[in-house]
Amino acid sequence: MGKKVLVVDDAAFMRMMIKDILLKNGYEIAGEAENGKKAVAMYQELRPDVVTMDITMPEMDGIAAVKAIKQIDPNARIIMCSAMGQQLMVMEAIQAGARDFIVKPFQQDRVLQALEKVLA
Amino acid sequence: MEPWDKLNALHLDALKEIGNIGAGNAATALASMLGSRIQMTVPRAGVLPLQEITALAGNEEDPVACVEFTVNGPAPSKIFFLLDEPSAYLLIDLLLGKPQGTTRVLDEMGSSVLTELGNILTGSFLNAFAEFCRLEFKPTVPAFAFDMLGAVLSSAFLEGGYFSDRALVIETRFYSESVTISGHFFLVPENAGLEKILQSLGLQLG
Repeated sequence: MGKKVLVVDDAAFMRMMIKDILLKNGYEIAGEAENGKKAVAMYQELRPDVVTMDITMPEMDGIAAVKAIKQIDPNARIIMCSAMGQQLMVMEAIQAGARDFIVKPFQQDRVLQALEKVLA
Repeated sequence: MEPWDKLNALHLDALKEIGNIGAGNAATALASMLGSRIQMTVPRAGVLPLQEITALAGNEEDPVACVEFTVNGPAPSKIFFLLDEPSAYLLIDLLLGKPQGTTRVLDEMGSSVLTELGNILTGSFLNAFAEFCRLEFKPTVPAFAFDMLGAVLSSAFLEGGYFSDRALVIETRFYSESVTISGHFFLVPENAGLEKILQSLGLQLG
């Protein structure tokens, strides 16, 4: 049985792209959320194996969502996936509890590499 | 007197270089997404009246897709990423893996594609800008509009509180020879942040 992933991004197009990569590589989609607030609620409900998390989103941004999810589950596995690759932001995300940081645009291999690393 | 009235040739040159570095990184990101070579023109920087800013991107009545970001941080700015209608539809087809010519009208998924494209390109732009200036830039969630160029820019400038009829813009055009894409990037730094940007480059204003 494939590992379950919660995909979080405010862009439907990006969620579609990530889901496509996941499904073609043996992962299952636990759910998808278009903002941090929904991501936290869905994590609580679904308890996925891993989360892909955008940063810039309405209602609640990705960094805040990571912090909230880590409160629910300190062992949560979260991979940031964002257009913002500035050093300070990457550090902020890792300090919040993310385990990897992918900068968009990404190649499929980068996503798979991050998932393997985080799920190892 | 506005701070931008104190800009001299050296300042403008520095701002153009920011545009160059930022847009260069954005063009690289776009090339990576499309698998095509993307080129860009030498950026222009200057304080221009709104009509001239509009004219840089095309005719007022041309329909354009516009992704707009407000950037917060020590150098607050606005960024506009503009695509003419044919480029917008072509990019949607290319990014969704559809045959060219499929998209003829903008739907929800198409808007999402363009908004996310704007997000990624702006992210690349800002990442490079931040590294060059050693400043942090925090973009907000983007706003998307598909309307006539004149309407899009004038409402964006009005909403942005640009009560003056002029703005400082750093503009570059990107294009591809292998696929017919033409787009514009506008960086519009607010007066409040202008000094900070220039100081980070070792320049003083006035």
